[in-house]
Amino acid sequence: MTTFLVRRLAFACVTLFATLTLVFVLVRIVPGDPAQLILGDQASREAIDALRQRLGLDLPLFKQYTVFLLGALRGDWGVSMVSGQPVIGEVLRVLPWTIELTVLSLVIGILLGVPAGVYAAIHRNRFVDYAVRISSLLGLSFPPFVSAIILLLVFAIALPWFPVISARSGSVAAWYQSIALPAISLGLISAAYVTRVTRSAMLEVLSEDYVRTARAKGVPWNVVIWRHALRNALIPIITVVGLYLGILIGNSVLTEIVFSRPGLGKLLIGALNQRDYPMLQGMMVIYTLIVVLVNLLTDLSYGFVDPRVKLK
Amino acid sequence: MRKIVFAIVCAALMLASPAFAQKKSLVVGMGSADAGKLDPHIASTTPDKGLLSWMFNGLVRVRPGRISPEFIEPDLAESWTSNPAGTEWTFKIRSGVQCHHGYGEFTADDAAYSLKRASNKATSSYSNDYSAVDKVEALDKSTLKITLKNPVAGFLGYVANVNGGNMICKKAAEEMGENFAKKPIGTGPFMFAEYQPQQFVKLVANKQYFRGAPQLDEITYRYIPADSSRDLAFQSGELDMVYGKQDQTWVDRMSKLPGVKVVAMDPAELSELHLNVTVKPLDDIRVRQAIAYAVDRKAIVAFKGAGTSREAVSVIPSGYLGTDQKAPLFPYDLAKAKALLAEAGYPNGVTIKTIHTTLTGMQTLIEATQAQLKKAGINLDIELVEHATFHAQIRKDLSPIVHYQAGRFPVADVYLTQFFDSRSIVGTPTAVTNFSHCNVADDEIRGARVATDPVKQLALWKTAQEKIIKAVCGVPIYEQLQLWAWKDTLDMGYEVQGSLNLSPPVTEKTRFIK
Repeated sequence: MTTFLVRRLAFACVTLFATLTLVFVLVRIVPGDPAQLILGDQASREAIDALRQRLGLDLPLFKQYTVFLLGALRGDWGVSMVSGQPVIGEVLRVLPWTIELTVLSLVIGILLGVPAGVYAAIHRNRFVDYAVRISSLLGLSFPPFVSAIILLLVFAIALPWFPVISARSGSVAAWYQSIALPAISLGLISAAYVTRVTRSAMLEVLSEDYVRTARAKGVPWNVVIWRHALRNALIPIITVVGLYLGILIGNSVLTEIVFSRPGLGKLLIGALNQRDYPMLQGMMVIYTLIVVLVNLLTDLSYGFVDPRVKLK
Repeated sequence: MRKIVFAIVCAALMLASPAFAQKKSLVVGMGSADAGKLDPHIASTTPDKGLLSWMFNGLVRVRPGRISPEFIEPDLAESWTSNPAGTEWTFKIRSGVQCHHGYGEFTADDAAYSLKRASNKATSSYSNDYSAVDKVEALDKSTLKITLKNPVAGFLGYVANVNGGNMICKKAAEEMGENFAKKPIGTGPFMFAEYQPQQFVKLVANKQYFRGAPQLDEITYRYIPADSSRDLAFQSGELDMVYGKQDQTWVDRMSKLPGVKVVAMDPAELSELHLNVTVKPLDDIRVRQAIAYAVDRKAIVAFKGAGTSREAVSVIPSGYLGTDQKAPLFPYDLAKAKALLAEAGYPNGVTIKTIHTTLTGMQTLIEATQAQLKKAGINLDIELVEHATFHAQIRKDLSPIVHYQAGRFPVADVYLTQFFDSRSIVGTPTAVTNFSHCNVADDEIRGARVATDPVKQLALWKTAQEKIIKAVCGVPIYEQLQLWAWKDTLDMGYEVQGSLNLSPPVTEKTRFIK
């Protein structure tokens, strides 16, 4: 177990370093001048050059890279070129918004998706199975911003139960009001993913010999399904959920924009539009860390779900 | 008896209920993901400029609701005089004006500091505007003297409440340095209170405002980048005022909502094709003329919507001091365009590249223009890139045709200088936004800038425009107005025809009438 963790951490460091270097180079290859964008289109060449100098953009690329890496090693990700605030602070200020949305929508996804998938699997090729399969396919192919707008039209305009600007805080009621629609909007899409994986994993397990044995010796159908079959189908489900969590954090940007919520996605888009190099670099590190961490947790959870899995 | 008690209790409850209190807080929805730099000397985007204008004053101001320099009136300066040559200006600063959050009285010293800061390229995006300023001195607490190297056309515009003319408080700026943008301190009717990233900026009333305490208590300026979400939030009553999606369908839809006032404001942004006269095939004036003849401005306005746009009248936006409202633009004449193209050696048509932004409003325009030019045999090869890339590439001369949409301070000199003076040619050390490499009107532009006789000045600007049109450095197309909507219970306190700072003038007089 310890060797496993050490190996994975070393691997994570390599991944991080590679991402950092890649991001550092990529953001600079893309055309666009941060100084020009900050000062606007009436600024003179001289003013732009002066700002480039202050931001350290006039240094040779290799020098910039060294400064950046040394800073990163010390835990200093630099300051945003636009706001002048430390990158880490800016990220941490919006991170909770993204995390609560992602986690909650994943929970909704699991609560809806697993039962639906199991149900579809045991009623294979019958009406309910088709209904579940079609609706999950719909959920996958529906652009998230469209479902978000529909939710807003119904539950914020036609029935004024929720606010359109879903970014309230203060009381529990306000929090619930502002998280409900965005979480449902993203949750329905995760439910679609989870349903499809659960269904196919269950179908495979249900045809196993031990399921037949269990049924033959008179184990109640419910117990066969939920204890014997589902437990064995969990590994692929967890894998997909783990992978999907990474995708979800990246994909939450559209939901954040439509529901006017703060979040990582919006920060990233803003940094990209402004060519805010330090911010982009810092954010990529955060994203990489999240993906690495989620993958690690996924791997660790295999051991808990299935005792046969040994982590080496 | 019980009935009477009940009635009294009911009456008391009704009086206490907020429904009867006049609404005192204004919530505005802006089409942007977050605040940029909230420093009036740096801010250059609509969202930032609009917000800052409610916090700052100039030495003079253009009357709220108007944009033309003819409406210039006293602001922080009570009065002013200049020498006959227009090179020495003396302003009498109003006494007793207080800076926000206890930063003390605003004096001539603050004004001098502010102007020096606006002319410094290290602290200002607008340092170019003040290149003619020689000296700024506070002679005493209430007297400010500005000495210019040469007379400047419409000089008062540069000390008005826009861009570098916004007056900041010295003590606050010195104390905060680079952090000034996090808590901007001015003298305006509203002062900065709170910023929540990606959510809002909150302003509160400056009770000591020199024109009187504002009627509103606070303004929440919300950042809502999605047009549809902003509209829905306005519709659900969460917003009182909303920045419009800049197209006609938005106006049509909003106008149908009850209790809503939709406003198309000046200054308009002029959409213009800048043709690089130094590269093939555009170095042949006949090709440029063909393009000018092939653009049907009337059809474009019909396409964009008459309520939000109007035909271009010259190579600079209409209504500016010095704009030739009847400039001799090329008429739409497809046959002439084809003939000129054939004469230039392209009887079978010609293909010209343009690098273009993916900004929606601009993209639909270039596509419509592409369709028009196609009829004359001119194939516009549009290469779409995202906005920041667009800005970088057009400044490297990579796009022979540059479609640019812009408004400037409404004096002809500013637009002419930035887009058509050869000193502003992109790629040079003094570059601004001369994409066409135009140099035909340098003498007139520079002559008008220092002319002291207003009649002569106007004549020079007129000639400059004629020369630029004749040389086809630019092909102006249409003008896009600024679109906003607000609840009709909100009274701005001024008739709103335009706003130099691009957001409706929320002042001390602004209030809800219900």
